[in-house]
Amino acid sequence: MAAVTPESSAHYHFPPAAAYRLNRCLFALKSDDAFRARYVADPDGAMRALGLDEADQAALRGGDRDDLVARGAHPYLVFMADLRLRMDRGTTTFEYF
Amino acid sequence: MGAMLVGAFVCAHTPQLLARPDTEDRELVLRVHAAFARVKRRLEALRPDAIAIVAGDHIEAFFLNAVPALAVYVGAECAGSFGRYRYRFPVHEPLARAIVEQGIERGFDLLYTQEAPLDYAFYVPLHFTMPAPAVPIVPLHVNVYLPPQPTPRRCHEWGRALGEILRARPERVVLMASGGMSHFPGTDRYASPEFDWDRRVLEQLGQGRGLELAALTGEELDKAGNIELRTWITLLGAVGDARALVYCYEPSWHHGNAVVEWPL
Repeated sequence: MAAVTPESSAHYHFPPAAAYRLNRCLFALKSDDAFRARYVADPDGAMRALGLDEADQAALRGGDRDDLVARGAHPYLVFMADLRLRMDRGTTTFEYF
Repeated sequence: MGAMLVGAFVCAHTPQLLARPDTEDRELVLRVHAAFARVKRRLEALRPDAIAIVAGDHIEAFFLNAVPALAVYVGAECAGSFGRYRYRFPVHEPLARAIVEQGIERGFDLLYTQEAPLDYAFYVPLHFTMPAPAVPIVPLHVNVYLPPQPTPRRCHEWGRALGEILRARPERVVLMASGGMSHFPGTDRYASPEFDWDRRVLEQLGQGRGLELAALTGEELDKAGNIELRTWITLLGAVGDARALVYCYEPSWHHGNAVVEWPL
């Protein structure tokens, strides 16, 4: 999938259809505990299972927000997928209320 | 009978209030919790039969396979989870169904669902404010994160209709809106919210000038980091020119946390 130019200056712009699979993968990382566990164990296999092309896989592996958003990823999905991965990996200290 | 809309509140719902990472100011978080506790005491005093809660879905209940502008959850119960947290709430099904039926009758083409995960925008405020035993809820969705979102004017109109529906019900209903204020999650503006914009809005609301928010544009909300204010504007349609009582406004490094009541 080619990089997508946002259609407006809005912080949250219309998610381009070309980025559907990338957004679906981010959505699964955010909301599907089983998928996230699979991704942590085998990121390449998990991304392939959702049909991500090589360029999207590389962008997700790289974890650069601007790169992902330029490819059409929804900024909120990028943000929360990252937070959920950090919660699972225990790389950040949390106080749970 | 009538006028059974007994309370109206808005609550911040940022998940850092629930699972606080070490990036967050603990004292600030606890001050927001104290405001939530005040809401809880008010709910205990108001003794609602149901809490109708308006929240913006964070791409949790609905993904890009179906993006409703306005939706009502009409199941027997609803559930959601976030890390170690597991929530399950009874739904006030007769009220939920009445909102869908009468909303559609009034010209609002509502989506309804009987199966969708509950978003944290619903359960973060309820985690801190739900009285015991749990009061049945009615989750009401407003699309805030997936453009094109409903206009503020449409949200206000829907809120006005919702208020009329609730006031005609036999149940004692509390209306709660979840969300806001300024924040820009996932963007390069994350660390620079528009706190002055928030404070101006709170001042307007304290003067009972909520109707003015219906004239905002979606672009203005986006620029101010307040796309979620659509949930507030929905509530404002229901409470009319009632004056807001601000329990707290706590600006963190990334979020304007507000807790507000409209005494009715």
